[in-house]
Amino acid sequence: MSFSQYYFLADAMARMSLRADAKRFFLGYLWWIIEPFLYVAVFYVVFTVILVSRQEDFLVFLMIGKFIYLWFAKAVTQASNSIVLGKGLISKLNIPKTLFPLAVIQESLYKQAAVFFLLFAVLIYNGYGITMNWWYLLPVIAVNYVMILACGYVGATLVCIVRDFFPLISLGMLFMMFMSGVFWNVRDLGSPEKTDLVLTYNPLAFILDAYRQILLYDTPPDITHLLALFLVFLGMLLGISWIMRRTSQFLALKALTA
Amino acid sequence: MSKDTDTTVAKAPERPLMLELDSVSLSFNTSRDTFDHGVHRVLDEVSMKVYEGDTLGIIGRNGVGKTTMLRIMAGILAPTAGRISIAPGKTASLLSLGLGFKPELSGRDNALLAAMLQGSSRKQAQAFLEEIKEFSELGDSFEEPVKTYSAGMNARLGFTTALMTHVDILLVDEVLSVGDAHFRGKALAAMQDRITGDQTVVFVSHMADQVKTLCSRVIWLDEGKVKQEGDSVEVVDAYQAYVHRTRQEGIEQQRLKQEQVKKALEQAAG
Repeated sequence: MSFSQYYFLADAMARMSLRADAKRFFLGYLWWIIEPFLYVAVFYVVFTVILVSRQEDFLVFLMIGKFIYLWFAKAVTQASNSIVLGKGLISKLNIPKTLFPLAVIQESLYKQAAVFFLLFAVLIYNGYGITMNWWYLLPVIAVNYVMILACGYVGATLVCIVRDFFPLISLGMLFMMFMSGVFWNVRDLGSPEKTDLVLTYNPLAFILDAYRQILLYDTPPDITHLLALFLVFLGMLLGISWIMRRTSQFLALKALTA
Repeated sequence: MSKDTDTTVAKAPERPLMLELDSVSLSFNTSRDTFDHGVHRVLDEVSMKVYEGDTLGIIGRNGVGKTTMLRIMAGILAPTAGRISIAPGKTASLLSLGLGFKPELSGRDNALLAAMLQGSSRKQAQAFLEEIKEFSELGDSFEEPVKTYSAGMNARLGFTTALMTHVDILLVDEVLSVGDAHFRGKALAAMQDRITGDQTVVFVSHMADQVKTLCSRVIWLDEGKVKQEGDSVEVVDAYQAYVHRTRQEGIEQQRLKQEQVKKALEQAAG
């Protein structure tokens, strides 16, 4: 299978899955944006009414954090289960196992595109104008996507070999939500050392902050750190893709017999 | 190979070797509370050869490893011991029904996805669609969601999209028992067309008569081993006789058990 054939197949699987999903619900495609907005609404009520957040413009601050976190968490969790769920196909075809997490992550990319457009509309409505710094969104989104691919592929391999990894990954995503500044500001921790520590060692916190720096504070992200993250996750992605290719038949046996 | 294996191998045909299994075994770990320390042995040192243009049948009872053998030939699974070799540049693939069927989508969408999964580009897959619509005789239902289809319509769509597979070694697993009598005939004719051509086929089926009609050579698998191999009529007859004998033995054992129970009841009453 050539690379273009492989990519278009993953894309077709993603599009078909989106279409099937939309046909399953009365509100169809609208759920792509209703769901993340409902999450934001719940968090907004909790943090403004009950916990009384002091964060300036908390609604857009929370929207950026929550939308990016949800994209990462849902795509990685669903990708982690994708080889196991694809065992019907695996039993009949000798296909690359990376196809399954890739299709799921591609599906999440389409949904996220709609969420991004709506987020930008809300930002503009709230007086955050489009500036030249918005160009930095392109490398940030690219690194974010590579990060999701790398984590999704690793998750899919682990869950296929030992199913017990799946609840651990779900729990890990909850941990990441609390640790990555989804509803708190990483630059407001009281000590610059603490902020540095979180931004250096938690890639999701760095990515969330990079989006906020561009969209809310019109500031470019730390390009050196962004490049370092890109290289780390690209290396991880290439490494896990190689492992998945080498162990394709072992993964098939695990998917079919575990 | 076990001692009771009767291998009446015909002289090797004078055609190129397409695929060879050499002492292939496959086992995997199951849960701990099963026998053999949780190791389930599906195939046990199976050897066989497939030549160009062959129509090789594989018969045997349920669970003897027929489908696993096809999966190893298709490259889906790797043997845990032994060796599989395919002639350089040749491809082997399973004829698979209902690939990636999503009930909410139309027959057309599902056929497109199935053709792409079988290796067609999007353009090639789109070109196949009208052919699939016509052969499957689905008419306007081709545009309807698959969840509205009857079992027969599903089978027709599945078989027709599967027929689009173009490989050097076609591996067929019980797909000719699809749809109603009319479509079964049509499916069989389409399959025969392939077989009488140059297509190399490995064919798994329970239907002994179908194997006799379609295959030139047959392998009988039992408990993961080759029990007999050779001319299709000879092997299928031996298999049928074995099935008949084991069935009779089963009936006899049942009868003896019932008699024992009856005697025990009479003694208890007397």
